[in-house]
Amino acid sequence: MSNANKKKAAASGDHDYELVVIGSGPGGYTAAFRAADLGLRVALIERFPTLGGVCLNVGCIPSKALLHTGKVIEEAAAMEQHGVSFGEPFIDLDKLRGFKDQVVGKLTGGLAGMAKKRKIEVIQGVAEFKGPNLLSVAGSDSNKKISFAKAVIAVGSQSLELANMPWGDPRLMDSTDALELEEIPDRLLVIGGGIIGLEMACIFEALGSKVTVVELTPQLMPGVDPDLVKPLQRRIGKRYAAVHLDTRVTRVDVDDHALVAHFEGKHSGKENFDRVLVAVGRTPNGAKINAKSAGVNVTSRGYIPTDKQMRTNVPHIVAIGDVVGQPMLAHKATHEGKVAAEVCAGGKSAFDARVIPSVAYTDPEVAWVGVTESEAKKNKLDYGVGKFPWAASGRALGIDRSEGFTKLLFDKSTRRIIGAGITGVNAGDLIAECALAIEMGCEAEDIGLTIHPHPTLSESIAMAAEVFEGTITDLYVPKKKG
Amino acid sequence: MSNRIEIKVPDIGDFSDVPVIEILVSAGDLVKVEDSLITLESDKATMEVPSPAEGVIRELKVKLDDTVSEGDIVAVLEVSDAAEDGAGSAEEPAAAEPPASKAPPADEPGQAPSEPRAAQEPPAQPETGVAALDPSKVPYASPAIRRFARELGVDLTRVAGSASKGRIVREDVSAFVKSVMSGTADSTVASPGGLRFDFPELLEVDYSRYGEVEKQPLSRIRKLSAGHLHRNWIGIPHVTQHDEADIMDMEAFRKANEDDALAQGFKLTPLVFLIKATVAALKKFPRFNASLDRDGETLVLKKYFNIGVAVDTPDGLVVPVIRNCERKGIMELASELAEISGRARDKKLKPKDIQGGCISISSLGGIGGTGFTPIINAPEVAILGVSRSHMVPVWDGESFHPRLMLPLSLSYDHRVIDGAEAARFTRYLASRLEDLRRLTL
Repeated sequence: MSNANKKKAAASGDHDYELVVIGSGPGGYTAAFRAADLGLRVALIERFPTLGGVCLNVGCIPSKALLHTGKVIEEAAAMEQHGVSFGEPFIDLDKLRGFKDQVVGKLTGGLAGMAKKRKIEVIQGVAEFKGPNLLSVAGSDSNKKISFAKAVIAVGSQSLELANMPWGDPRLMDSTDALELEEIPDRLLVIGGGIIGLEMACIFEALGSKVTVVELTPQLMPGVDPDLVKPLQRRIGKRYAAVHLDTRVTRVDVDDHALVAHFEGKHSGKENFDRVLVAVGRTPNGAKINAKSAGVNVTSRGYIPTDKQMRTNVPHIVAIGDVVGQPMLAHKATHEGKVAAEVCAGGKSAFDARVIPSVAYTDPEVAWVGVTESEAKKNKLDYGVGKFPWAASGRALGIDRSEGFTKLLFDKSTRRIIGAGITGVNAGDLIAECALAIEMGCEAEDIGLTIHPHPTLSESIAMAAEVFEGTITDLYVPKKKG
Repeated sequence: MSNRIEIKVPDIGDFSDVPVIEILVSAGDLVKVEDSLITLESDKATMEVPSPAEGVIRELKVKLDDTVSEGDIVAVLEVSDAAEDGAGSAEEPAAAEPPASKAPPADEPGQAPSEPRAAQEPPAQPETGVAALDPSKVPYASPAIRRFARELGVDLTRVAGSASKGRIVREDVSAFVKSVMSGTADSTVASPGGLRFDFPELLEVDYSRYGEVEKQPLSRIRKLSAGHLHRNWIGIPHVTQHDEADIMDMEAFRKANEDDALAQGFKLTPLVFLIKATVAALKKFPRFNASLDRDGETLVLKKYFNIGVAVDTPDGLVVPVIRNCERKGIMELASELAEISGRARDKKLKPKDIQGGCISISSLGGIGGTGFTPIINAPEVAILGVSRSHMVPVWDGESFHPRLMLPLSLSYDHRVIDGAEAARFTRYLASRLEDLRRLTL
């Protein structure tokens, strides 16, 4: 530590750092950067050699790079219908993996650079609390103690492991393993029909695997409005080897040539696969940092409860991201990270977002924000729906992907938007406008009267609002009686 | 997997956001059917949420001081006849849904913060649920304005928006702060009409300097009453009309039937006759059976006759309501009155027992006094105070006769009722008591 730093540390109450951030995922690095920008002396602790956490290294970013590859393969194949043939693709897996790694490297390297510019001390090692103001960090060759005035717990989550599976066999993968892209299996079983499972299924199917998806509940992406899932289900139903709903995998056995999965439920029996991917959810890492020695409460499931200012029960220790609860999404964590940093710097910020959008980057994409129609029904809200089918969108027809639709939910008395769901190409990008509209308290007319560029898929949002208002001209909607 | 059910808050009348005042079980507890799990309190009534089945509480979804509404999940119960462990729980992770669609995790019970914290706020996540989007409940303000308000410590639910349809803009927040700082907006009392409540501050006094003192916290009921009474006292222009009813004949009639009532297990009190007479007066003067709409521009006239009766309990005053008094006979009312006052004293009132009143009667006749000015139980528009009857010489034009007179004090909301009307109402009511036969007219 330099002399100048020592002086500053002394001024902040004799701690090594004014703020220590444990975990450098999107939440953690955002908190560290924002706190440094607010003038705090910050250390960022990361157990892996690169910054960025699951999202940048083994999650959102690499999966999206590969999903893009898959999309181009699919689109090239679809061109045959339009009279343009490219032939079978040749896939150089090493090169593809290289591209993905390079994208990840660019981003994580960028983070390291930005940390340095902000004079944030990046410490590699596994952190554990040793007291309310003390941490130990076990590095590869050293073990040091760090004292802090305030701390941000941003330790994230990890994939849930299922019982009765041959963990240790390289053919049994979680999402991290799958993104390593060791090979393109001939027959792939994806256990878990949620967002992660379906995105991975999408990648491998495009790369040439015969994919089977098995989901425990009666619906893919449980919790999402069934109508939003339907276009996706229809598309993959035709392309995948099988989609088994209401089905459980009781165990996976190892055979010399295959992994043998045993099914129970609506679909039963056993089948051989070359690889099996388990994507049944994620579990928070709250129990792994000896939080109790700092007095921080951790629930039996490993979550760390916080208030709206992200403070744990110990006010000078805050927690953000996956470890504080669902939804486990990077964009939730980054917002929480900013709040945490501002609160640690003495500000009055609080996490006060009304909605957090969710996106499945499948093909087609499924995105939703705010109240879902199922929730609206369950809570007996007085709501109205404006639904615009993309079959009436010139742009959707032009790209030959008219299976999607845009659905907006409005509060009937104030006519304000309370929720939205979009299925179709680029739904994940389109949903952002709906999130803004909800936060701003837009009425249906505000959306419909805002001129959207033509011809774009974004028009579908304005048109869905017009459907609700009854002013749509691009569809013929018979007049409501009464 | 074992059979888990979610226990939800049952129908609790018109109330929502009711505080949890007691948690009677913890996770892992064995419960039987109808065992009470938590106690809720709305206004002055408490109620317990019972277990619908026998089993083990796996998870409590509420904490002390949480507020709940009908349908909210209280706890997860593992019903015992389907209980199985081992294999079932090992496979639990398979039930996990994909991250984004999973409900927010509930806080574990028994995880109360080890250190007390100044402001106990709910966890951040549930704030983005359906409730966070209900336009009738959340301030109409954009994220930037919400942040601005937070920085200034402004509660946006108290700020009136000036933009189209009541949207709150930056200027509204600034103006609110300015008005609070300059004292034009009172922080506790809404002051329609721009009236300023420029009270001198109450000085802090060290009472023990003058002698021995003892501090006693107010009961919950008393604290709740305090707010209501203060609001009604300040917010309603009260006038009290005094009159007397000659109840000599009524008392003779009541006493003649007293034993009859006692034989059926209840007392026949003068209050029952007052209820009957009040119903008759409400029928004759419908404006007394009304409420002023919140906008202050519409009168809501009620076609039912539910009478609130103030009951003194050790914890403070409660006003249970007897419904549809117009359809009930004297004896039926007497029996119901005995039953509901008993429950009030035993703190067993349900929320619906204290809802829906049209007018209240506060009788201090059993104690004494010659008159008082009761405070209206808003949104009702009148309250009848009754003091102790006493024998007086009444001049009938030729001679004095000893008559038993009952003092009546009717406080009324002058925004709704005029003085002459109130005098007529009280006289009419008294005349019904003076000759009970008129009640049948």
